[in-house]
Amino acid sequence: MSPIPREGEEAVEGPRVPREEPAAPLDRATEREMLGSLRAGTVRWEPTEELWRLSVEPAQWVWSSRTATEGLGHRLSTLFADRTGDGPGGLRVHALFLGQGSSAGVHLSVGLDPLRPRLASLVDPIPYVAPFEREAAESFGVEFEGARDRRPLRRHGARDPEPRPAAGDPPAGSPAVPADRFAAVEGEGVHEIAVGPVHAGVIEPGHFRFQVVGERILRLEIRLGYTHKGTERLLSGRPADLGTIWAESISGDMSLAGAMAYAQAVERARGSVVAPADDRARGLLLELERTAFLLGDLAGIALDIGYAVGAARANGLREEAYRTLARLTGSRLGRSILAVGGLRRPLLPVPSDRVAATLVGLGQRTRSWSEELLDKSSVLDRLEGTGTLPRWVAELVPCVGPVARASGLRRDLRADRPYGPYRGIEVRVPRAREGDVKARFQVKVAEIEEACRLAGQFLEARDRAGTGGNPSAGPSVAVAAPSPTDGLGWVESPRGEFLVHVRLDPAGTVGRVHVRDPSFLNWPALEWAVRGNIVPDFPLINKSFNLSYSGYDR
Amino acid sequence: MNGPEPPRPGRPRPPPVPPGLPGGAPAPLGYPRGPWPTDEPPTRRFPRPDPDRCDGCAACARACPNGALRTAPSASGTVVSLDYGLCLFCHLCVDACPSGAMAAGPMGELAVRHRDDLRLVRGGPRPDPERLRHEVGERVGRLFAGSLSIRAVDAGSCNGCEVEIAALQWPRYDLERLGIYFVASPRHADALLVSGPVTRNMRAALERTYRAVPGPSFVIAVGACGISGGPFVGSAEIEGGVDRVLPVEVYIPGCPPSPLGLLYGLWLALGRAEPRLRQGELPAPVGSVPGTADRRTPARRPP
Ligand code: SF4
Ligand code: SF4
Repeated sequence: MSPIPREGEEAVEGPRVPREEPAAPLDRATEREMLGSLRAGTVRWEPTEELWRLSVEPAQWVWSSRTATEGLGHRLSTLFADRTGDGPGGLRVHALFLGQGSSAGVHLSVGLDPLRPRLASLVDPIPYVAPFEREAAESFGVEFEGARDRRPLRRHGARDPEPRPAAGDPPAGSPAVPADRFAAVEGEGVHEIAVGPVHAGVIEPGHFRFQVVGERILRLEIRLGYTHKGTERLLSGRPADLGTIWAESISGDMSLAGAMAYAQAVERARGSVVAPADDRARGLLLELERTAFLLGDLAGIALDIGYAVGAARANGLREEAYRTLARLTGSRLGRSILAVGGLRRPLLPVPSDRVAATLVGLGQRTRSWSEELLDKSSVLDRLEGTGTLPRWVAELVPCVGPVARASGLRRDLRADRPYGPYRGIEVRVPRAREGDVKARFQVKVAEIEEACRLAGQFLEARDRAGTGGNPSAGPSVAVAAPSPTDGLGWVESPRGEFLVHVRLDPAGTVGRVHVRDPSFLNWPALEWAVRGNIVPDFPLINKSFNLSYSGYDR
Repeated sequence: MNGPEPPRPGRPRPPPVPPGLPGGAPAPLGYPRGPWPTDEPPTRRFPRPDPDRCDGCAACARACPNGALRTAPSASGTVVSLDYGLCLFCHLCVDACPSGAMAAGPMGELAVRHRDDLRLVRGGPRPDPERLRHEVGERVGRLFAGSLSIRAVDAGSCNGCEVEIAALQWPRYDLERLGIYFVASPRHADALLVSGPVTRNMRAALERTYRAVPGPSFVIAVGACGISGGPFVGSAEIEGGVDRVLPVEVYIPGCPPSPLGLLYGLWLALGRAEPRLRQGELPAPVGSVPGTADRRTPARRPP
């Protein structure tokens, strides 16, 4: 057993996997030339977001998306619709492509007729676009021509049948919603197991449909949408500064990451800068949240292999991480502390050396705990080779966060697109090659250590900055006063790339907010990873992914 | 076989964690049998308007994100109404108040048996208490005080409440020392612990889970969402609170409630503690020590 490989170490990529260097990012001029060939209506370079924003015609939609994916080597990160008016072009579909490493992103948007919004589906160049298009079709009535999966994403059979049309229900006369069904596998001995939405543990609701032979899983289909609360729609028209409150409740176990992504989106839309002291405090809190979150994952893995003592110890460490957050912010989950432009109020006065020692203790204890765990053959027997997600699948899905890194992909927004506190500091990105539960376990252990190290570094920087280093709760300075417009916020949350896109109304209220939780991308990977495993291993595999239901459903 | 394998070098072990280094598991808890712990981090408490200092500017009501706090002018000054069932404990109102009339309340023991006990009206007429009769009502303590099996149901929460509910099983809180257990099936449960605003997609599942619980049984609503819809109040996608769908015995406010607040709520449900909030008011004067709750009340033991 090798220790957890770190980024750049040769042990990471064994001889069997060819070493794949991410293509060197193109320079801006080449990018501009390639994008210019699209003859888009407008091409705008957004320096603060490192993003090209292009407005294209419906006829160019597929072609320009192909240019972004195949030409520039980007992957689709999000796709959503937005309604700005009733006239032609009043309904816009946006697609965001982010590149390998630090290359610039591409934001495409297209205007459609709100009365009859039709657009070519991107499913051929980008197979994983389906859930995005299903969401846009369901909430905004966009008809995607050529889409193969038209099942509703959230308005499915489980929905309360009461005839209460919600705002945004597809307009009357739109094509009938096709029947909502599960794919079935037929053959001798194949049977189906339906699980959920109410599960056996204290976890979120979702429905899993297994097709199995004996104990072996042939196929799994996951239906989510049970926790759909209409958060995005609820935010429209609210004062932009209040939005962090709802952003914290997108995935409540990553409250800080959600608030940070939202706050960044609004800050970028307004062109405001955050004071460095506030940035450092944000970094400290985000890394503490990551520590607490990932410790919960490790404890869950230990619990699901029946190793209760190990689970209790990891949960004790997790509790300490949450208590440290509470000592700093007054809220165990770090609620209502981040605000647009900085912090809502200064951090509570806690002796820095105590917090620093706690961070060191958490990191060291996690490491020694995990070494002890992985020393037991009965543990390894459950973790090794279970729920394997091959690298090529992780790339195809495309996965983000620890799930991607455990399958060998180097994806971490803190290193790739450094934001806020992570600008100008080195973030080590641990990776593993095998893609099984053990790999995810090891990557998460290494990420906790790295999170504790980074948090300690932010704390040290705060102390070096002197007594004035305690962050101000004041509003940030607006450097430019552009007409209120779009902003993109990105955060490497404990689950991976968390994106929030905000359009501000001229009055300064939220026009449209779109949230792309990392789990929105990662869920299909779970369907892959369980194939060929036995049903009793499913809870373990599920826990090793630990995806968000509420973040997917919002 | 070619003879015994040569001994393999062991993996390098990390250096042992020095004893006394902070960052280990926190100490176990005596609460709710004992007093409120003194080593608890200072978490944000409920906001409390002081009518003597309020100058009626309504800044707090404007700051409140989801309408938990409202003000209305009246002949005798400003009426401040605050619904702790909606409150997110975000303290935006406390930050916004220019005259310091909004202060943080003194305690974390907020669970109540009646929805109206979470509604505070200062300076105006009180709402009529609508005292609902529940299936088991006052008998809960007698029926389940020795041992209670709980089935947690997430009716659309953000997972924040789940983090804190799950924490009850962790070393510090160790719910099982109180004879309270989480069970995997509603068929084994005495009570449902429901979080989330009851989304339209979860309503049917929640009702079916409730029907699967053998009677006598009762329901506890957790968090602002479970009580009223919380931050999501006003969305067409939610029912807006568990009691729109099921009879609720105990309400535990917070967004999310802390594990200690949950422990108090469970203790209250079992009849081992008395409710402290009545129509949003505290019987004890402001500033009383948190956790001096009615621990002196003799516990109602099963007969
Ligand atoms: S603490 Fe409660 S009352 Fe005050 S602003 Fe927040 S939600 Fe409103
Ligand atoms: S009450 Fe708050 S923490 Fe609990 S589910 Fe609702 S939003 Fe999340």
